[in-house]
Amino acid sequence: MKFAMLVAWREFAESTKAKGFWISIFLMPTMLFFSIQAPIWLEQKATPVRYYALVDQSKTLAPAIESALEKNYQRRVLEALGEYSRRYSAPQSNSAANSLGLDNDGEATTRSLDSFIAKGGKDAALERLKPQLKSDAPAFQSPRRPYQVVNLPPDITPDSNLPAIADALKPYLRGDKQIEFNGQPVALSAAILIPSDIESKVVRPQTNHASRFTHHALTETNSPASLSTIQFWSINASDPRLHDDIEHAINSEIRQREYATRGLDVTAIRQVEQTYAPFATLNPKKEKGKEAVSTADTVRQWAPSAFVYLLWLAIFVIVQMLLSNTIEEKSNRIIEVLLSSVTPGELMMGKLIGIAAIGMTMISAWMLAVFGILSWKAGGASVLAGQMLGVLKSSNLIPLFSVYFLLGFLMYAGFILSIGSVCNTIKEAQSYMSVLTIVMMVPLLTMTFIPKDPNGGLARLLSWIPLYTPFTMMNRAAADPPLIDLIGTLVLLVGTTAIALWMTGKIFRIGILRTGQPPKIVEMIRWALRRDS
Amino acid sequence: MSAALQLSNVTKFYGTFKAVDDVTFSVEPGCICGFLGPNGAGKTTTIRIILDILKPTSGSVTLLGHSSALDVRQRIGYLPEEKGLYKKMKAWSVIAYFATLKGLNRKTAKRRAYELLERYGLKDFGNKPTDALSKGMGQKVQMLASIAHDPEFVILDEPFSGLDPVNQQVMEEIIHDMAKRNRTVIFSTHVMQHAERLCDRVILMAKGKKIFDGTIAEAKRVLPRRVRIETEDDIAAVRRMTDVLSIQQVEKTNGEVHKNGSSQWELELRENADPQAVLELCFDNKIRLRSFNQSEPTLHDVFVRLVGPEAKEASFR
Repeated sequence: MKFAMLVAWREFAESTKAKGFWISIFLMPTMLFFSIQAPIWLEQKATPVRYYALVDQSKTLAPAIESALEKNYQRRVLEALGEYSRRYSAPQSNSAANSLGLDNDGEATTRSLDSFIAKGGKDAALERLKPQLKSDAPAFQSPRRPYQVVNLPPDITPDSNLPAIADALKPYLRGDKQIEFNGQPVALSAAILIPSDIESKVVRPQTNHASRFTHHALTETNSPASLSTIQFWSINASDPRLHDDIEHAINSEIRQREYATRGLDVTAIRQVEQTYAPFATLNPKKEKGKEAVSTADTVRQWAPSAFVYLLWLAIFVIVQMLLSNTIEEKSNRIIEVLLSSVTPGELMMGKLIGIAAIGMTMISAWMLAVFGILSWKAGGASVLAGQMLGVLKSSNLIPLFSVYFLLGFLMYAGFILSIGSVCNTIKEAQSYMSVLTIVMMVPLLTMTFIPKDPNGGLARLLSWIPLYTPFTMMNRAAADPPLIDLIGTLVLLVGTTAIALWMTGKIFRIGILRTGQPPKIVEMIRWALRRDS
Repeated sequence: MSAALQLSNVTKFYGTFKAVDDVTFSVEPGCICGFLGPNGAGKTTTIRIILDILKPTSGSVTLLGHSSALDVRQRIGYLPEEKGLYKKMKAWSVIAYFATLKGLNRKTAKRRAYELLERYGLKDFGNKPTDALSKGMGQKVQMLASIAHDPEFVILDEPFSGLDPVNQQVMEEIIHDMAKRNRTVIFSTHVMQHAERLCDRVILMAKGKKIFDGTIAEAKRVLPRRVRIETEDDIAAVRRMTDVLSIQQVEKTNGEVHKNGSSQWELELRENADPQAVLELCFDNKIRLRSFNQSEPTLHDVFVRLVGPEAKEASFR
């Protein structure tokens, strides 16, 4: 055992000197950090204000559009206020966000938005929040407006015919020219042109002749039909938000008018539109009185998938390490010197312990980083981070993960050592590795299906295949799998791992000194089953 | 004193191929023993069997009084034929690592590593990763790694291959140093000069069989003694000598002209015959000699004579 530990220590010490090890350690937390931080940054900084020009020759739709966009902006302000109050409220007053009428996920409802605007908007709301805020809370920063309307350049008159206006605006839209806003030159990202006779073009289910609302990107040719539609000119086809918001605003306005034309009661219709039946998702497995399913429960359901991915990644990374250093020892014949000092069994055990220690170090670092990042972000910016942290603290995911990591690693390490011991180069190992990689892909492919039906046929079947037990059982961890599955598969996995390592020991002993062509898999199995001579 | 190493009727089959065929020999303690033979003779397999890395199909090995080398692994040093080191490890650290595997504690192993590196001229390279060393240096480092624990019994498989003459000398020095401290060294080589200079004994293998086992002097006696004479006279009297086994005229080589039309003859003498007798006979028979040359066969000659045909055959196998 002393010699196995010496081998293990060298494996460990040398691997920690490798760049790949440190990259693996830092890559995962970096990815996690950016996946949480990137949406926040994008929200705050990356999306520039988009300037648009609006030409409404019908003279009837522009105010409706502007008020609708303003309302969208007020929604963002309200949600930002909710976030602000959640972050800076004194601990005892957790009703601060609720006083704004936001839902559990911090989103504004139509009712809360109307009430927010009616009560005087941001300033009034801040006034109401003030008593609940911590004394050191910073001033509230309104979110930036995503869109800003600009006036047409002085050389374009809004009354000329639409094709002429479109032609005149094209250089601005293409970025060849810049338009002026508050004395600053800015890029024009969209132009909305509404013809004067739009009222007569509205599509009504009873009428057949009318044209349709549509938008045309600059790349499209001007067909005669498009002249009598509302035209949305833009070179940015990938971000549909402005287009969607405007189309939605115009259609709402058209419908409001239609209700009036037909003598319907607009107020009644608005009330009807806001009518809904309260709906709750409940889980009978939860404590009485707390059966309601929240976002946290969804996180709990999906968190194991993240662990499956982590498990897969950790096992895959370190078995590769094991493969490459076994082949190194074999290809440069260090193995012979080693075998004159230690038995093949000690060597194998040393390698397994050493690499397992590397794996444990790696995932411990990941876990610490995950906790660190989630705790840091949970305080304010990310609701999701807080929920994830809660799930990690309250569940048995981490102990399960450790068990499945160790067993999964030992089982796969067995295969890898068998492969490594018979191959002289990484290239020779690739053909075996491709088979193993395909086998290992299955848990990744089924990862997203299993949480949807964690105790279903597919999940149970895969759980009982030892190759997939660690991944599948990890995936099912949040769904309280039957005890027979939990214990039965664990026993089977331990047994399989033991057999795999025992067979590996035999293959390793024969294979490690072999040179020349690697043997066929059948031949390796024969070695494994052969009685010791 | 019992033998340091004893092989008894060791045979090893790889499938149906007999790599080692009923080999028996022993090596006395404190002896430097050359293990010679052409490629594919079974030397490396025999060495692996001695080290218990491979199990013989039949026969037995006793090393330092134990039936398995693993029981006495801390007293054995081994340098394999194909040399390699952990590429990213520092030279001292490789030496120390192998020494700890042989039972030295970490501190002693490190001290020994630096001592050896200094003694054999590698002091400045101790902290370099081994992939930054030249091939020869790497090989020396590996050699030092195999003897850092000061083993009683050392097996070196082709320790000289790939080394320049200066480093070959260093390697010889290392072997001599060990012998001085009464260590037993067994090494395989293709270069007969090394064996001739270093060995007390040689064991010659071919086609898996032991074909010679004895001292260098005994090896040389395997070949008849040769005498070369140059004369323009008739040598019929020499032909009649009972001690002369054969006479062959040495053919002129390119560009070489024997003076005055004289000829060179190579005489093979019977074992224990005195070359002086040939000289006396020539004198008595008025055969005028332009040159008389008696030379001992080299180990190389012995090797070629003993394994020549097999070696060629093996290289085509």
